[in-house]
Amino acid sequence: MRAVRKTMKGAIAIEKVSKRFPLAGNKEGVLALSELSLSIAPGEFVAILGPSGCGKSTLLRLVASLEQPTAGRVTVNGAAPNLVSGQHALGVAFQDHALLPWLTVHDNIALPFRIAGRRVDESAIARLIELVGLGAFGNARPRQLSGGMRQRASIARALVLEPEVLLLDEPFGALDAVTRRQMNVELQRIWSARQITTLLITHSVDEALFLADRVVVMSGRPGRILREVAVPFARPRDPSVMRSEKFHYLVDDLTQALEA
Amino acid sequence: MKQTFLGALGIAIFLAAWEVIGRTRLLGISWPPLSDVLEMLGDPGRLPLFERALGATLQSTALGYLWGTAAGLVLAAVAHLAPPLRRGSDRLAAVLNSVPSIALGPIFLVVLTRESTPAAVSSIHVFFIVFVSVSSGLQRATPAHRDLFSVLGADRLRRFWRLELPAAVPSLVSGLRLAWPAALIGAIIGEWFGAPRGIGILIINAMQNFQIVLLWCAVLLAVGTSLFFYGLLTLLERAAYSKFG
Repeated sequence: MRAVRKTMKGAIAIEKVSKRFPLAGNKEGVLALSELSLSIAPGEFVAILGPSGCGKSTLLRLVASLEQPTAGRVTVNGAAPNLVSGQHALGVAFQDHALLPWLTVHDNIALPFRIAGRRVDESAIARLIELVGLGAFGNARPRQLSGGMRQRASIARALVLEPEVLLLDEPFGALDAVTRRQMNVELQRIWSARQITTLLITHSVDEALFLADRVVVMSGRPGRILREVAVPFARPRDPSVMRSEKFHYLVDDLTQALEA
Repeated sequence: MKQTFLGALGIAIFLAAWEVIGRTRLLGISWPPLSDVLEMLGDPGRLPLFERALGATLQSTALGYLWGTAAGLVLAAVAHLAPPLRRGSDRLAAVLNSVPSIALGPIFLVVLTRESTPAAVSSIHVFFIVFVSVSSGLQRATPAHRDLFSVLGADRLRRFWRLELPAAVPSLVSGLRLAWPAALIGAIIGEWFGAPRGIGILIINAMQNFQIVLLWCAVLLAVGTSLFFYGLLTLLERAAYSKFG
């Protein structure tokens, strides 16, 4: 069992959720998710692994209240996701960093405070800029940064309001393999310091195993859960974990499950 | 570099052709040589006349430009924030634009004064261009940015101020650039309805008295002023795109 958290907030419950998207020229539409159930405990890090188009991003968008389920129910802290986002209690990072090009790194990270109508906590921003290794770049604009640096800024922005739930939709999907590995190591370090309930969507088996407490493998259309694996590595995790035999075994095992 | 050279060469050829056609009377006496036009423009005795005319026209243009921009910006923002008003405001803008300003002139003359008609016609021209560019600009925020604001729980107004309005700045500035020549034309047309002075009045008077060189002076002044401000606004547009684009 991990260290006890200060507040036991941030449970996510997905109950028999189906999602159907309308499709031109087709009455049935596309069934992206079919009666999927998953519950995530407060402070747990769950990675969803699946092939492209398996509905894993749709799952995250339901939790983020960017989509509504066709059937079933999604709750965060027992409440509807749109109420939770209205309380500014969600943090999010997408594959597209979605930094505003007209704001500096500092102002991008301060944006959640302004959207929430709260006083901008300068010391929290300064700490986060340091934490994600952008100390010298607070006044830079996103276009002046590398892809990896933009994703760091976007993760700092996701964390700045100390959200109850962190939603990560392939945040490192557009990065090269080396940068991606570095970012995973950093995210692991950052996350270990806070342990916020996290839902990570990825198609990288290594990434899922290195970061998560539990890995959920999804099947292709319609999206269903194929397997769930509890990750046995203790935290904080050193990158050397990725070279262990146990890690390689799990990678092979999950890769096979993905290909099934 | 090569482009600049070719551009300069093109302008030089055009000016030389103007001079030659004028000197040889190739197109008759209504086409004076460039040197005659420039000579009159530089004539110290005529300077006060040109200054008064250009000053009056620029004042009307600037007023029309400001009012038109403000009206276009406000109506586009209101229509964006209150969707039920959107269709109505689109129609209003389209109708205003489809009425020729020549037809609006007499109405302004009755409702307003002779002095303010140029600015009014000018503002109508500007209004439509700014309204259209801001309306489309307010739709330009990317889906990823919209998603971000939704997840962070942004309300309608904060989404507008922090996302949609800044994302509309490049469109707005492009509109402002295109609106400047339209504003100037509006002011000149407006002057034809009896303004006491201005480039439009100079054009009409020169035409009626068959002062061909003076007519060309007035046209050259209008074109030069238009190009000068257009150039300035192009620089502003580049800056806006590099910051907000």
